[in-house]
Amino acid sequence: MTVQHAPVQESGARPGLWAVLKDYMMTTDHKKIGTLYISTSILGFAIAGILAVLIRLQLAIPDNTFLVGNTYNQVLTMHAALMIFFFLIPIGLFGFGNWFLPLQLGVRDVALPRINTFAVWLFIFSLILVVLGLANGGAPGVGWTFYYPLSVDANQTGVAVLMVALTLNGIASLLGSANFAATVVNMRAPGMSLWQMPVFAWSIFATSMLQLVSLGGLTAAALVTYLELKLGISMFNPGIGGVPVMFQQFFWFYSHPAVYVMLLPYLGIGAEIASTMARKPLFGYRVMIYSILGIVLVSLLVWVHHMFAVGLPEAWQIAFMIATLIVAVPTGVKIFNLIGTLWGGRIIMKSPTYWLVGFIFNFLIGGITGVSLGLIPFDYQVTMSYYVVAHFHNVMMFGTAFLAMGGLYYWWPKMTGRFLNEKLGLAHFWLFMIGSWMTFLPQYILGLLGMPRRYYTYPAGNFAWTELNFISTLGALTLLAGGIVWVWNMLQSFRQPATASPNPWGGFTLEWTADSPPKPYNFAHDFPTTFPTERPLYDWEQSGETLTPVDPKSIHLPQDSIWPFMTAVGLLLMGYGLSFGWFTNYHPATGLQPFADASFAFKLATVVLYLSFPVFLYSLFKWAGTREYAVPVAHHHLTKYDNGFMGMAWFIISEVGLFGVLIAGYVYLRVSGFAEPPALRPNIWLAALNTLILVSSSFVIHRAEQDNHHGKLTRFRLGLFVTLLLGALFMLFQVYEFSLFGVESDWKQNLWQACFFTIVGLHGLHILIGGTGVALPYYQSMTGKMDKYNHGSITPASLYWHLVDVVWLLIVAIFYAW
Amino acid sequence: MNTTTHRHSGTRRRVRQALPIAAILGATLLTGCQQVNQSLTIGDMASAYNREIFWMSIWAIALSIIIFIGVSYALFYTVQKFREDKHDAPPAQFHGNNKLETILVAVPVVIVILLSVLTVKSMAVLNPTPNQATKVDVLARQFWWNFSYPEVTSDAGGVVTNGNEMIMPTKEAVALTVTSGDVIHGFWAPNIGGQRAAMPSVKKTWQVDNDRAGVYQGNCSQLCGASHANMRYKVVALDQERYNTTLAAMKAYRAPEPAPGSAEARGFALFMQGKASTGAVACASCHRVQGTPAAGVAGPDLSFFGTRRTLGAGMWEAMTDAQWTDAKAAEELHAWLKHSPVVKPGSLMPRYDGGEYMVQGKKVKGGTLTDTEIDDIAAYLRSLKLPEEADYWKGTPVHGAPDGGTQ
Repeated sequence: MTVQHAPVQESGARPGLWAVLKDYMMTTDHKKIGTLYISTSILGFAIAGILAVLIRLQLAIPDNTFLVGNTYNQVLTMHAALMIFFFLIPIGLFGFGNWFLPLQLGVRDVALPRINTFAVWLFIFSLILVVLGLANGGAPGVGWTFYYPLSVDANQTGVAVLMVALTLNGIASLLGSANFAATVVNMRAPGMSLWQMPVFAWSIFATSMLQLVSLGGLTAAALVTYLELKLGISMFNPGIGGVPVMFQQFFWFYSHPAVYVMLLPYLGIGAEIASTMARKPLFGYRVMIYSILGIVLVSLLVWVHHMFAVGLPEAWQIAFMIATLIVAVPTGVKIFNLIGTLWGGRIIMKSPTYWLVGFIFNFLIGGITGVSLGLIPFDYQVTMSYYVVAHFHNVMMFGTAFLAMGGLYYWWPKMTGRFLNEKLGLAHFWLFMIGSWMTFLPQYILGLLGMPRRYYTYPAGNFAWTELNFISTLGALTLLAGGIVWVWNMLQSFRQPATASPNPWGGFTLEWTADSPPKPYNFAHDFPTTFPTERPLYDWEQSGETLTPVDPKSIHLPQDSIWPFMTAVGLLLMGYGLSFGWFTNYHPATGLQPFADASFAFKLATVVLYLSFPVFLYSLFKWAGTREYAVPVAHHHLTKYDNGFMGMAWFIISEVGLFGVLIAGYVYLRVSGFAEPPALRPNIWLAALNTLILVSSSFVIHRAEQDNHHGKLTRFRLGLFVTLLLGALFMLFQVYEFSLFGVESDWKQNLWQACFFTIVGLHGLHILIGGTGVALPYYQSMTGKMDKYNHGSITPASLYWHLVDVVWLLIVAIFYAW
Repeated sequence: MNTTTHRHSGTRRRVRQALPIAAILGATLLTGCQQVNQSLTIGDMASAYNREIFWMSIWAIALSIIIFIGVSYALFYTVQKFREDKHDAPPAQFHGNNKLETILVAVPVVIVILLSVLTVKSMAVLNPTPNQATKVDVLARQFWWNFSYPEVTSDAGGVVTNGNEMIMPTKEAVALTVTSGDVIHGFWAPNIGGQRAAMPSVKKTWQVDNDRAGVYQGNCSQLCGASHANMRYKVVALDQERYNTTLAAMKAYRAPEPAPGSAEARGFALFMQGKASTGAVACASCHRVQGTPAAGVAGPDLSFFGTRRTLGAGMWEAMTDAQWTDAKAAEELHAWLKHSPVVKPGSLMPRYDGGEYMVQGKKVKGGTLTDTEIDDIAAYLRSLKLPEEADYWKGTPVHGAPDGGTQ
């Protein structure tokens, strides 16, 4: 049924460390990028896991003094932030997603390979940035939820760096998600419709959409917090009429869907494991896809259930309660269908299967306790208690993380050509299973017995607290032992020869036709174009269709380039400067001080900040000036839109989400009467003039795009030049307006002004980004990099510019006209 | 398909058995150690609030047990029956079963509707606050609590307020109104009812209750900084008559005037004026003492400090009837006054041993008082006592306290 290649032994000397590193810095290979995501995630898991053990050691006995006060809070915050943003979200969505989405779709790469390189390094740098916080005043100790106003409490450390790191991490995540969505829409193997995609590919697609829609909430929360730290601008400050709960609305608008970002890819993996290991088709493939999409939709409507005890209006609480309970329906369907897939099969009981069965059983408990938290009066009692801690560890740690492990055991032979040791794998599984139960089940009871979460200490004598906490700590040590077995298992596998065949489990999806590990070009064959179901290999075996060999020499892959990496370095430097320095010497507690009085580290970071701009821009333009392919290649895409346009179209959803969240917040403050404009406010006439400028620029760039399409290159260049000129004019007027308004009244004292500077300022930043985007194709065109095969980045740049214009129209309406 | 019908008929049979079992299991779990009346738990059935939650949850608990047993049985049965070594037949290549899927969607939807109705019904009982309810205002700050009685204005002026120990009547709904003076905190005393977030510039009112007189534990439930875990308080539920006596005594209370030349008098002077020569800030600039000029609002109210049996919002709470004359208690109080930020991480009370502590992200040097001066202040604080009949601790059983038992 498949072309069975004998594994080819790589010959020649082992490359040195620098050579390998350089290769990974420059690579556009989605598999190497996937490996980077997976290894970084495992590193994040290791660090966060050790922090978890430290937490449990502190809580092992009453009145312990191992980690006290803010030190404990910092360990706690880092544990959560790393687990969520550097393990559970990236390993599934981007680790396995990068590795297996293109392979399952039967294509050679993702839609935008160099964006992919940029995104993975930005992701890694955001981790480095968080860690650098330790050397710059300390880690954040405000909880990963960084609730306002604790986040701006002067005694807290490391909040600014967390905000910047989360934003960079978010940008990387959005680029990755847009890339996946574009890949799914534009790049499937010929003949494979959306409804014949493997369920894992669907789950990645759905998760990407969810990220794109919701991530704006987190960015908005982080941005507003950051602005208060650095400028004193705040939409939340109750002192000037702001509403601290609005922070929670912003935050949970993303962070609840994020729970499903941490679930859906794994449900996809679980379904793949179930189908392969039971040697059966999925039970109710379509129903499973509908469930995934249903979860995506409903998960956007449940965020308020994190805030029941805040005391919001009851209609709100009830509406969100119902949505919360409804999520259980599609989630239940997934569980039932996984069991249905196993039913009647011939189940191969290997380690991936154990992880799957363990997941279903554990997730069942997590799901049931999740429903209990939806019952509002019960939630009033146990929210913010250890019951909640137990619940979310139940669904994440011994729920979805079990499937992350399952995926690793399942695809390890494909990724490395080697098997993980089965005995060690089972030891790892049972240690994790028993360890999780011992760690977290006592925590349910602790919650019912009144132990609040995030306590670094507790007194002796409360009924059962001492015993339950001690058991929980023993469980954490068991988990640590499991983790050690796991790491050992991975390390020892590399000492074995690479003997795995292309299809060691007898899987039915296209990744199993590639070599183990796959060649850089993935497939040395083309696929039949008939896809009766989501299991092409089974169908083709039945129908006798075969793969058509392709000469690897005829395959062209994108060329490696250092510039996406260097562009990410530019952002790392910028992030460092923004975290630990600033343009002025401002501190929320002390206000504006002379810059000369700042500490050396602050001044150094500010210098890095200034340096980062040339590094970033130089690298970006070098990147734009490097062609994606070394030789002219005809691109294949399924829609009439090129990949750049498609990726940007998906990315724009996230921008709409970001502005949507902020504007919704502003409109609420305005309608409720909290945000009243000061007497002297920005002039509508200047805004009208700016509107004219920006709208004209939209027409100009559209015309330029048409000119390029028709080969009128001179007019094209002129059009882009005029667009840039108009953008600059707009910025000039806006800077004038901002300076005037900033002097007229104090943004620290007026909520409307704070909203104005936050949202209109963010739009101004988007003009700068959009302008840089327009400058790229201008540069490409001027240096002769655009031709019949190389379209440059004009289509995405123009689309983005239009978006910025549309947002401006909305801003004129709500800030100048209203 | 076979197993499904099988499972469903089984479910029906199990419902009848499961209900009483679930009730017993749930009750045991939730009420914890009801028999010994000793625990901090949401299962304290002496509270109508908790009873309502329990009876709302009973259906959910029963359904949960059924679903848990049913699904895990299906899972393990499937895996056992169809594992390769037991089931060697080529697997049937079927793609699903729409009828079954419909049932598997419909049944949960019905359950969701049922649970929603139950929830809304309970909310209608729990959330409205009766007009006649006793009102208590709760102020949360880093890292302490003030409980004041807006309907009781003291004879000496100002609203009757107690720090870190809340007195409430039994057998009736108590309307709490919570707010915060700085970051967000959370009020949670599981034995009397559910939580509410304490937020700056926002006031939220809800009701709690308990039928049984006793001292219950309360905790801050929202991460609020270094001493989040040390932001505890006591809820003292008193029978109506005793509650009235206590409140009346609090209303009439004026801090006793120390005899000239006594330790209390020296402590009083330091309390009110501090000691400018050594940079020791006056206690009165942050604390209020009813019936004296001390009216500070940056720290907990100390009016009835001599009657209180907890120190530093739960930093130390194992006091006996000897109260502050107990040797251990005196030692703890001395250490607290001397260097509160050393005893309690992040405490904003100044140090009086000349050491450094953090204020607004900056290290600040505290003033200095001698050990004798500190003992004088302690002596003054000990004298701030309610009359004997208003000692709300005396004879009140303590639930969930470190050392337990009647005090």
